[in-house]
Amino acid sequence: MKRFALIVSVFSLLACFSVAPLWAAENVKIGAAFALSGSIAVYGEGFKKCVDLAVEEINAKGGINGKKIEIVYEDNKSNPKDCVSAVRKLITVDKVPVLFGPAGSSNFMAAAPVAQESKVVMLSAQGTAEKLTQAGPFIFRIIPSNSKQGQRLAKLAFELGYRQLPVMYINNDWGLDLKDGFVTSFKKMGGVVTDIIPFDEKKTDYRTELLRANKDNPKAIVNLTYINEGAVQFKQAFEMGVKTQWLCGSAARAPKMVELAGKAAEGVMGTYPSVIQDTKEYKTFKAAYQKKYGDDKIPIFGDYNYDMVYLTTRAIEKGGYTAEGIRAALPAAAKGYKGVTGDKTFDENRGMEHADIGIWIVKGGKIEDHKK
Amino acid sequence: MDSLPYYLQTVVNGILAGCIYALFAMGLTLIYGVLNFVNFAHGELIMWGAYFLYLAMAEPFALPLYAAVPLALGMTALLGAAMDFALFKPLRKANRLTLLIAAIGLSFFLRNAAQLFWGAQVRTYGFEIRQGYRWLGVSLTPQQLAIIAISLICICGVYLLFFKSRMGKSMRALADNLDLARISGIHTGKVILSAWIISSLLAGVGGILMALDTNLNPEMGVVNLIKAFAATLIGGVGNLWGALIGGLIIGLAENIAVLFISPGYKDAVAFVIMVIILLARPYVVTDKRTD
Amino acid sequence: MDLVLHLAIVVAIYSIFALSLNIEVGYTGLFNFGHVAFFAIGAYVSALLSLQDATFSLALIAGIACAGVGGLLIGLPALKLQGDYFGIATLGFAEIVRMLLQNQVAWTKGPMGLPGIPRPEIFSWHFDTLPAYLLLTLGAAVLTFLVIGFLTLSPFGRVLKAIRDDETAAAVLGKNPFAYKMEAFVIGSAFAGLAGVLWAHFITFISPGDFTLTETILVLLIVVLGGKGTLWGPVVGAAVLIFFQESVRFLRLPPEWSGILGPLQQMIFGLLLVILMIFRPEGLIREKGKETIDRD
Repeated sequence: MKRFALIVSVFSLLACFSVAPLWAAENVKIGAAFALSGSIAVYGEGFKKCVDLAVEEINAKGGINGKKIEIVYEDNKSNPKDCVSAVRKLITVDKVPVLFGPAGSSNFMAAAPVAQESKVVMLSAQGTAEKLTQAGPFIFRIIPSNSKQGQRLAKLAFELGYRQLPVMYINNDWGLDLKDGFVTSFKKMGGVVTDIIPFDEKKTDYRTELLRANKDNPKAIVNLTYINEGAVQFKQAFEMGVKTQWLCGSAARAPKMVELAGKAAEGVMGTYPSVIQDTKEYKTFKAAYQKKYGDDKIPIFGDYNYDMVYLTTRAIEKGGYTAEGIRAALPAAAKGYKGVTGDKTFDENRGMEHADIGIWIVKGGKIEDHKK
Repeated sequence: MDSLPYYLQTVVNGILAGCIYALFAMGLTLIYGVLNFVNFAHGELIMWGAYFLYLAMAEPFALPLYAAVPLALGMTALLGAAMDFALFKPLRKANRLTLLIAAIGLSFFLRNAAQLFWGAQVRTYGFEIRQGYRWLGVSLTPQQLAIIAISLICICGVYLLFFKSRMGKSMRALADNLDLARISGIHTGKVILSAWIISSLLAGVGGILMALDTNLNPEMGVVNLIKAFAATLIGGVGNLWGALIGGLIIGLAENIAVLFISPGYKDAVAFVIMVIILLARPYVVTDKRTD
Repeated sequence: MDLVLHLAIVVAIYSIFALSLNIEVGYTGLFNFGHVAFFAIGAYVSALLSLQDATFSLALIAGIACAGVGGLLIGLPALKLQGDYFGIATLGFAEIVRMLLQNQVAWTKGPMGLPGIPRPEIFSWHFDTLPAYLLLTLGAAVLTFLVIGFLTLSPFGRVLKAIRDDETAAAVLGKNPFAYKMEAFVIGSAFAGLAGVLWAHFITFISPGDFTLTETILVLLIVVLGGKGTLWGPVVGAAVLIFFQESVRFLRLPPEWSGILGPLQQMIFGLLLVILMIFRPEGLIREKGKETIDRD
């Protein structure tokens, strides 16, 4: 028994010491707590690609004041608890002054208090829940919030002639938020919400929820869902013979969703914070992405992540490589800055001032902008 | 106001789920009856059965269905036999709680092994999605019909085995009284092995059918174990017909319950039923040999 | 340095959790597979109160009390069951508690969890640095150790062991097994609640997914590995296992490995449990008087 205890202690000590001091002397380190495994890894992998692209470009032009940017990636395993751990680790072990936060409003909001408490800047390129930045002045987001989306979705439903419909939504901060926004707007316009059905993430069987939503054969169903969940739902709805117009939010607008759902995704529509793809900036970005990765299917929110890197770079250049410096410099760095996703000026809640909401539709297996 | 097809569809969904649960429960109650312990790793046999098929059909094997299924089932039976040989046989005479903890540890091991190989995300067999046939407003896809048919075939098979064959008779003898059976010349080792093989096959078939319906993920064993156990309790320990009926009841109960309560509680229904039965009949459930 | 403090705090919290389970499993022979439910109740009650700006002292007491009451409510029906049926019933109860936490979104924010739980403040001492928090948890752990030590070395503890070894004999000798089992269960639940409170205020974010069967297996492994029915067993078990589990979190590994490391660790835990049961069910620290009887 004594020997066993000795072996265990030696192993543990070895484990402790492998947290070797990092020799990366002169690099500008930025943390990134992305979902690299687990159910929303599909988002995280896309972000990483676009972040890497931006970093490559900036480093090729000399980096920040001559120093190269290095992104320290930490896997958040697609669940809020590991997001907290990942962010904590980046702050305490890697000691980064700024980091890119996880996808998923709930995941982000779980970790935000940690960053705020340690006074480290954390940015979100895809969290659209209204209260995302409420943790404090060190938390920023560079994508418009859900409030405008809810209104636009309600308006879309009305434009298409639907006055009564049920609402399904994913049971997390994003879904809850968008559901509230939609329901409020829809009711104000005179619409009737016949049923409100929350559903859990990561399930493999949504037939119960679908059956309930389809109870009175509604002509349209609002489904505020993510990529994997949406794919399962559309497939199962197809098998069940559900014939309806699906109206979604921004989170399902992904080539991956269409790939997983196949023909069951045909005709699905939704809203999203739109990005005018005709600008010079966007076209350059798209070409660079194509050159590096061989296809031009920009991953969902990848464009926002790309902008996030550039914005952070500008803030570091202006305010210095400290958390307080970056925090103070961000609003100025962003004012009037035109990234590939448009004007990045912050509003007083450290969210986006400008928001355009577009409509997407799945046609012929592809996601397109819906032209009226 | 609620339409008839709505309720009918619920009942059909319940029967569909119930058939699969019946297979799970029958496998579980068989081991329970013959060896007098709850195989907590039964859920993982279910899960691995499903994943073995996935493995057989994916690269680099890419076997066609008629070859992949027997292979997958064979591997599941092997896994079950191995579980007994490596773990439960050495502990045959141990304290019941030691057995339970060992089984829980094994289940944990197997669950994470699956996650290691295939990751935590959902996988699918990739069969083409098809619209269901519609009768009276109720929809059933061809795959779902196949599930019901295959379940019925398995149930008949088990009936024939258990009540019409000599092996079945030996198993029933062991279930009744292990030592007496041994003395009367029955090859207990062979019979126990056969019980494991059948239990594993039932688990494997059930797992494959379930994965066919709702795709694969490493956690699919745990929740189904509890449902299988609840079904076993309804029917009475060691009672195969009871397990069948129990499975159907659980399937129907959980689908009908979510007409009234939030769908998030669907899995809780089986838990609640299990707890209620355990509490309501505490003496009846222990009428098997206790030590 | 931060790593060592972090590890020490988690070891302290899990020592409390394991000591609380040991009273039930090791001393009274109650195999509680749902122990994590009381950890969860302690965590959630205190977190919810703290987020409503209640003082930490109030949150702490409420957390412990609710966990204890939970033990009372669950124990009343469940303790009528024997052996492994009790285990399965408690497992069922724990899952039901978790599903309640997950689905009653209006009360508990469900799967979104409770972020930003404030660090404790007692009589204007802020425990918001790691060393301070370590002091707090060590203090709690020592207190738990002393209380449980006192209880188990007293006549009360001897009756518990008697009930574990032969309930009928204990009953014949005039002790009411049900009452004793209930007391042990409630005490165990209350201390689990204490561990939960400390956990919630340390991690600052909890969600129903933190309180699953996996956590029960971990604490069970700690108790069984360390040596059930002993005082130091749970502490040793906690130190060994938590070191292994948490230190790996801080390794500088390529991110692609993290998908493999997690399941691998858990596999080792499962295997450890199995090997222990076959070869050394009494654990690292053997109980006094049990050296010769290790299979019953």
